[in-house]
Amino acid sequence: MIATGFLVSCSDSFLEMAPKSTISSDQLLTPENAEGMAIAAYSELGNDHYTAPNSLWPYADNTSGDAYKGGGGTGDIWEFNFMELFAFNTTDNPLIDQKWYRLYVGIGRANEALKVINELTANEFPNKTERQAEMRFLRAHHYFILKTMFKYIPWIDETVSGEAFKEISNKEFTDQELWDKIADEFQFAAENLPEMQAEKGRVNKYAAIAYLAKTRLYQAYEQNEQNAVTSINSSKLEQVVSLVNQVIASGKYSLFPDFGYNFLQPHDDGSTESVFAVQRSIDDGTPKGRLDWGNMLNYPMNPEYGCCWFHIPTQNLVNSFKTDENGLPQFNTFNNSDVKEGADFQNNTFDVRLDHTVAIPGHPWKYDPNFIYQKDWARAIQIYGHFSSLKESQHYECACFQKVPPFIASSKNTDIIRYADVLLWKAEALIELGRQNEALPIINEVRQRAANSSGMLKFNDGNPVSNYKMEIYKPGENCTWDQDFARQALRWERRLELAMEGIRFFDLVRWGIASDYINNYFAKESTKREYLKDGKFTKGKHEFFPIPQNQVDFSKGLYKQNNGW
Amino acid sequence: MKKTNHLKKFTGLITLILLFLVSMNASAQQISVSGNIKDSKGEGLPGVTVIEKGTVNGTVTNIDGNYSLSVDGKSTLVFSFIGMTTKEVLVNGQSSINVVMTEENIGLEQIVVTGYQTQKKADLTGAVGVVEVDQIKELPTGNAVKALQGRVAGVYVTTDGNPGDYATVRIRGGSTMGSGSNNPLYIIDGMPTTGGIEQLNPNDIETMQVLKDASAASIYGSRANNGVILITTRKGKEGVSKIEFNAYATIQNYSTKLDVLNTYERGLVNWQASINDGLTPTSSIYKYDWHTDSNGNAVLDRILLPEYIDPSHTMHPADTKWFDEVSQQSLIQSYNLTFSNGNDKGSSLISLNYYNHDGIIKETNSNKITARINSDYKFLDGKLKVGENLLISKVDNTDIPIGDVMYLALVQQPVVPVYSIDGGWGGPAPGMTDRHNPVRLIEQNKQNHSKTARVFGNMFADLEIIKGLNFRTNYGIDYTENYYRKMDYSYASGFLISDINRTTTSQWHNLSWTWTNTLNYKMETGLHNIDVVAGTEAIKAEYETFYGSREGYVIEDPDYMFLDAGTEKILNGGGGAGNSLFSLFAKANYVYNQKYLASLTVRRDGSSRFGKDNLYGTFPAFSLGWRLSEEGFLKESLPAISNLKIRAGWGITGNQEISNDAIYSIYRTDYGVDPTWVFDTGTAYDITGSDSGSLPSGYRKIREGNSILKWEEAKQTNLGIDFGFLDQTFYGSFDYFMKETSDILIEPPYLAVKGEGGNQWVNGATLENKGWEFVLGYNKTLNNGLGIDLTANISSYKRKVTYLPDEVLTGYPGDPANGKSVLGQSDIVHFGYIADGIFQNQAEVDNYPQQTGKDIGRIKYKDIGGLDENGKYINKPDGVVNDLDRTWIGDPNPDFIYGLNAVFSYKNFDLNLFFQGIQGVDVYNEHKHLTDFTSIWQGTNFGTRTLDAWTPTNTGSTVPMLTLTDTNNENRYSSYFIENGSYLKLRNLQIGYNVPDKLIKSLKLSSARIYVQGQNVLTFKDSKGNNQFTGVDPESPGFAYPNPTSYSIGVNLTF
Repeated sequence: MIATGFLVSCSDSFLEMAPKSTISSDQLLTPENAEGMAIAAYSELGNDHYTAPNSLWPYADNTSGDAYKGGGGTGDIWEFNFMELFAFNTTDNPLIDQKWYRLYVGIGRANEALKVINELTANEFPNKTERQAEMRFLRAHHYFILKTMFKYIPWIDETVSGEAFKEISNKEFTDQELWDKIADEFQFAAENLPEMQAEKGRVNKYAAIAYLAKTRLYQAYEQNEQNAVTSINSSKLEQVVSLVNQVIASGKYSLFPDFGYNFLQPHDDGSTESVFAVQRSIDDGTPKGRLDWGNMLNYPMNPEYGCCWFHIPTQNLVNSFKTDENGLPQFNTFNNSDVKEGADFQNNTFDVRLDHTVAIPGHPWKYDPNFIYQKDWARAIQIYGHFSSLKESQHYECACFQKVPPFIASSKNTDIIRYADVLLWKAEALIELGRQNEALPIINEVRQRAANSSGMLKFNDGNPVSNYKMEIYKPGENCTWDQDFARQALRWERRLELAMEGIRFFDLVRWGIASDYINNYFAKESTKREYLKDGKFTKGKHEFFPIPQNQVDFSKGLYKQNNGW
Repeated sequence: MKKTNHLKKFTGLITLILLFLVSMNASAQQISVSGNIKDSKGEGLPGVTVIEKGTVNGTVTNIDGNYSLSVDGKSTLVFSFIGMTTKEVLVNGQSSINVVMTEENIGLEQIVVTGYQTQKKADLTGAVGVVEVDQIKELPTGNAVKALQGRVAGVYVTTDGNPGDYATVRIRGGSTMGSGSNNPLYIIDGMPTTGGIEQLNPNDIETMQVLKDASAASIYGSRANNGVILITTRKGKEGVSKIEFNAYATIQNYSTKLDVLNTYERGLVNWQASINDGLTPTSSIYKYDWHTDSNGNAVLDRILLPEYIDPSHTMHPADTKWFDEVSQQSLIQSYNLTFSNGNDKGSSLISLNYYNHDGIIKETNSNKITARINSDYKFLDGKLKVGENLLISKVDNTDIPIGDVMYLALVQQPVVPVYSIDGGWGGPAPGMTDRHNPVRLIEQNKQNHSKTARVFGNMFADLEIIKGLNFRTNYGIDYTENYYRKMDYSYASGFLISDINRTTTSQWHNLSWTWTNTLNYKMETGLHNIDVVAGTEAIKAEYETFYGSREGYVIEDPDYMFLDAGTEKILNGGGGAGNSLFSLFAKANYVYNQKYLASLTVRRDGSSRFGKDNLYGTFPAFSLGWRLSEEGFLKESLPAISNLKIRAGWGITGNQEISNDAIYSIYRTDYGVDPTWVFDTGTAYDITGSDSGSLPSGYRKIREGNSILKWEEAKQTNLGIDFGFLDQTFYGSFDYFMKETSDILIEPPYLAVKGEGGNQWVNGATLENKGWEFVLGYNKTLNNGLGIDLTANISSYKRKVTYLPDEVLTGYPGDPANGKSVLGQSDIVHFGYIADGIFQNQAEVDNYPQQTGKDIGRIKYKDIGGLDENGKYINKPDGVVNDLDRTWIGDPNPDFIYGLNAVFSYKNFDLNLFFQGIQGVDVYNEHKHLTDFTSIWQGTNFGTRTLDAWTPTNTGSTVPMLTLTDTNNENRYSSYFIENGSYLKLRNLQIGYNVPDKLIKSLKLSSARIYVQGQNVLTFKDSKGNNQFTGVDPESPGFAYPNPTSYSIGVNLTF
């Protein structure tokens, strides 16, 4: 009875149970924890998964005629199949919603870090401004991807507190204002970041300048509400030129001597070409390593790998590597005949980047002449043909390589901005400014490096894997370098240089040519790949992914759906 | 031996109390009477009260049914036993009086445990389902709850054939939604627990009651939303000293194997699909010889297989029957030994059980050893009773990934051999799906055992302070410890190869204690009968877990693969959780003149899971009853009515099944997660670019706290009627209930811009369940000695969501943006396209609304609606089949569930038939993606249904034309996959034989019984029409452990 009374009296404290192994927001307000919050924001760059990869292949390669989804069939991750065919895609595609969510997680982590950092004085936390700049860079990176995928997005920064996020519409800012918001972030980062970072994973001043250039380039192609490009803003283009010039002038970056080094983990460290990359690690005390989970489906089916053959180069892409008798691209005729296997690769001539990009039956896998890619490494040949993607995969003997049964991964860093890409932005800006002659040496620099990159592409007998023949552009000699031609050359160069790197679709949309380009691709490619016959790109709609239906509903209709959806 | 009647055992206690009250008050002119009391089967009946009528002089029969009493020679003896018709015999100078007691068919006098109290069944006013423990005790299962399937109206049990004997129980359709639990609360000997009932020895169960409505359950207010199952375990009986031995063996068979293609047929459908697509048939395995006949039709001449199916030439083509390879005939064995003893100073019972269950999937096994000691001791002339109930159990389960195995047996191609020519594993060859050899999965997991030890028990002291007033204190613990050493071996199986081996050793530790103090007052004066209980209860639960793992073992053997022997990837981790509850409660039962019944309950619960302002919830309930059959006017005018009672109850119950830290906003460091199957949410990053070694790590938000969270509450009204005719030969009850659960605790999806950790528990949904339960029984022993006992029950519920915040509707089935919200539907309703047959010809295709991918032989999807010019959805075909045409296509909640139990007994034989079924349940047949299509998953095996697919000459088929690519998106969620899951099963068929007395005596036994039985002997399902169930077992439409057909033989002996 006494005990009962005792229990009644102290029941309130009896009912207090502190949460376990967690930390409260008050406890976070120390310089050490501010550093920790910044690390967590970086960490999100590598928080990848095949359902929403940070390498962006399902959104940019799978949707642009460069890659088929691949895998076991069209039903194997049907969400990506719907993206590939456009016609089936709907606003409630769960993997679109997931990508949107993950990007806002990235933004949220930067915001959470900024909330802690902002609370500390510069005295308490000498790194304050620098970390603020890093966080705003990371935040802007996620916003950039959101912007290119979804066009109209709600802008949330660290000042939004409590329930205020519910009041922020995706139409609060115009298309151009959103670009300016992103640019402001990179501008702040550029002004406050050091030129060099002792810790290689941290972003520096020139990464910020480069990303700012990329932002201005996208912004320059002004779109109307129907996603059509209405004009190209030359002052933005001039900014692109000047920003890229700063990056070049820094002397920090150069193209690798061999194109292939970009896709080999041992060249990660000390890369001269990587401007901004996701850092990956292995044997780091985490259960499986912090690997490139976004690509973990993208290996072929041979015993050394065994899963899952996603992200498959299209016949169209493979054909586009063909060169003409001058060693230049076959701009108009490349797709008239297919190069598939065997003698096709000796009877035609090719851009060297082909065998860096595409695994072809009978050709060495990942530069190993003793490790030949076989047709039966492919998985669903009747649907997707027999090629595989090479750039993101690593040799199974690499120290970076790890099986994560049933999947495959590596600790190869994932480039987000490569110096070659930066150079081509400048070339693009110059061409659109009518200064194509200044663009010529840039494109040729990129081409020349590619042409010089056949060293690792040899059989055991020393013979080249394919019949390479490529030349730089020599106006008057092998081409007429006017603006139209230069534009065509630039766009072709971007395709071959950056193929399968998660970029292509955004280029097509930026240039305003996505609809015609992709429908042409469907018309021809569906004669070879039956499943594409219902593919259809609707102009004014499919340039952007839909605002996820969940988000429209959760916002109680505050978010407005993109045009056409 | 006789069928042990749980009622009889209970009587021991009651009798004891009676005897105590009787005290020594015998008179002088006496004769001695003795005799033997038998039941209708001729077995001695212990525990029968024998009282000299009108006095307090009495005794009880001993284990053999013998008694002896000194009485007045002219008196009348009253023989009574709960569950039996009371008999009165005039002594009339006789010195020997033998009586045969007959069972009172459904004992209105039966004592029912109702929570901190007991009540006579006749006095119950709530909806309480009493389990006839007798009828389930011989069922071969390791989990008594499994045996409830179909036995109690309103209780829906789903189960499968897993040796672990897990069961899902839903009382009246459950009460909550989302991530909340719909599991009932179990109270075992007064100790609450939410799971692990399979760790209880079914033989130990004495009584089992299901408290279904709020008026019955609210005494357990805090956690009673989903109903309460009360279990009491057996005790020793006074004057009885015996040893019981029960054993059975069960053979189980896998009788529901899916029909899948053999090697030839798999090649054939691939050829046919290619021909249908207008392609040249190719395959990495099969070579086709075929030609085109004069009509232009393709004709297959022969299919050739290569010598080897893989490039490294390790596998010859096979014709493997994977379902056969993974399954076996299996055996369950159970041995149970119970020792019990009782005298006027106390009683004790010790039981031991060994249960070994091999499953019909190879290597699956559950091995249990349970021990129970229940004892009590009396002091102070019986005024103080001290005792304990203690269960110690050890369960060892072999951890075979059963869902994977069942799936793989379907999808692995038959041409793949189990083993390669060099004795290694067979596995997928190029061109096949990247799925494992299921036999390898079994063989390489059989060394992984999950071992659980549990101590579950309580100590109590019960003191009678003054007559009728008892104080009882009860302290119990529930301690579960689980140890699991998982060894992953390296393998090479086709192109699936892993050179990693790893041991992960993990342990979790779950400790909770309950301390209950109650005061109970019983008073009977004149026509008033009052029973009041009040008390407090404190509960605290703590959970901790940790693991360690290493890789790099030079020998792959369970004797070697302990953590110390590994050399690489040294990892560990762990966490904890805890919660507490404190409650005050009171309940009063009042009976006036055995006619008018009333019950009032109130419970106030505090939970650590809620914020300061809402710590407590109050849960009141009341119920009323009127026993019309006790009214004089009815007794006289309708004497055939032996029982008629109407009941009404209302009450509120609560739910607090949410995260322990739901009220706190918290951050956590996530150094690393295993992102193989889930999104990486880590907080560590290689910021220095060093590629390996220890990484710096930060914090991520994991939850937004909600300090104003409060209890979820269910209001329930129950109306019931109990009836019986002709001295309870016919009896039954009908209950109608309405239950509304509001402030349902949900953790809804939220606006993504809130970022990570924006998830927050809120009180944000309302669910309504309405339904009825009907029970009917017939019990009669005919003059020729044939005993008939029939019980049938049928029940139904409708479950619908009535409120959800607008913005979270998208998280549930439906298309709320277009007016199709889940409100008014069950939260688990099926939503999708209506598959409307197959396009038969080009004209049909051309005239059909626009449907991407439409073609001859493909599925038509119904055009039901579209947008009007204002962009508003209208229910009118718009000529386009798109996502606006999705609608409600089925409800997985059954229309009704039912059971019928029939027991026939004649002389020493008895026959038991038990049927159970569900009706009107729409199941999503997961198999169908694989049994009907060659296009959705390439490289797998398919069902034999593909052999009968639609062709221009086989137009009657419901299976669409074979194709290699799913251009019509037939993988979509549509009614094609929704099937009628109704079934009726003959669950149990049993014949028992009680060995006659004479024989028993010569064997020095006091009783002996043998029985044989079959389980799941017959299944009836819908096998006609468009809606038919095309899988094998509608009870198990997915990749769950199959339900076996089994045959048992058992023996029960008492010494």
